[in-house]
Amino acid sequence: MDFAKSVIDATCEIFETMLMTRVTPGDPLPNRSDVFVDGISGLVGMAGGYRGMLAIHCSNRVAMAITGTFLGIDVETVDDDVKDAIGEMANMLAGSVKTSLSENGKDIKLSIPSAVGGEEYTFECHAAADQVLMPFKMPDGEFLVELQLQEQSE
Amino acid sequence: MGKKVLIIDDSSTMRKIVARSLRQAGFDFETILEAGDGQEALEVLSGENVDVILSDINMPNMNGVEFLRNKAEDDGIRNIPVVMITTEAGSEILREALELGAKGSIKKPFTPDQVQDTLGALL
Repeated sequence: MDFAKSVIDATCEIFETMLMTRVTPGDPLPNRSDVFVDGISGLVGMAGGYRGMLAIHCSNRVAMAITGTFLGIDVETVDDDVKDAIGEMANMLAGSVKTSLSENGKDIKLSIPSAVGGEEYTFECHAAADQVLMPFKMPDGEFLVELQLQEQSE
Repeated sequence: MGKKVLIIDDSSTMRKIVARSLRQAGFDFETILEAGDGQEALEVLSGENVDVILSDINMPNMNGVEFLRNKAEDDGIRNIPVVMITTEAGSEILREALELGAKGSIKKPFTPDQVQDTLGALL
């Protein structure tokens, strides 16, 4: 299965449908740093036929832009609304990727979305068999969508 | 008398987006009520008569399927139509929600037109 294509299709559809914003995917990155600065990460865990997680990592500036477009308001600080919006982005991305994965007959359960952020935070994930780290460009900057999956035996 | 809708979602962002989509789709609800999970929704419904419910599935405390089960046991609210708004398109848990009486589903991400198509048939 082409996980990069699933991530690109899901991300482009969600931004175009919910934010009326066109995003441009870059080339997949080989790896990322575990430490993020002045940003927010939204995360959804996956269990069942595949185990892993989907995350969206963005700077505070991009997170505020996404939230402002989402809600149709000006957002000037990173508050609970911003964390909630980035968590919900992760939720929709995970749901779309889950739909693609479920076409292989795999039953997958999603966790409740969460978000972490701050001036400097660590986001560690044990390497999985299949991983994609995809950069996207939008008018206010760049963000990353990360998918880590390990297929589980029946 | 104007109609009332209850939006159930643990994301405050999504509750606002659903409310905005209802307005954009042309629905003129007199009151838009909100709840953060199924338990909170049951508490709202104990004091309010609503015409339709839009509910997420994947929520903490009481998820959308558990909410439908509890609602079915309460004669006062059993017949209020529920539409699921969820990322869980085509999943087992959505099938379970439809078996428990949900009248339809809207997949996130969604457009106001999709809200109109699904909800318009119920109201």
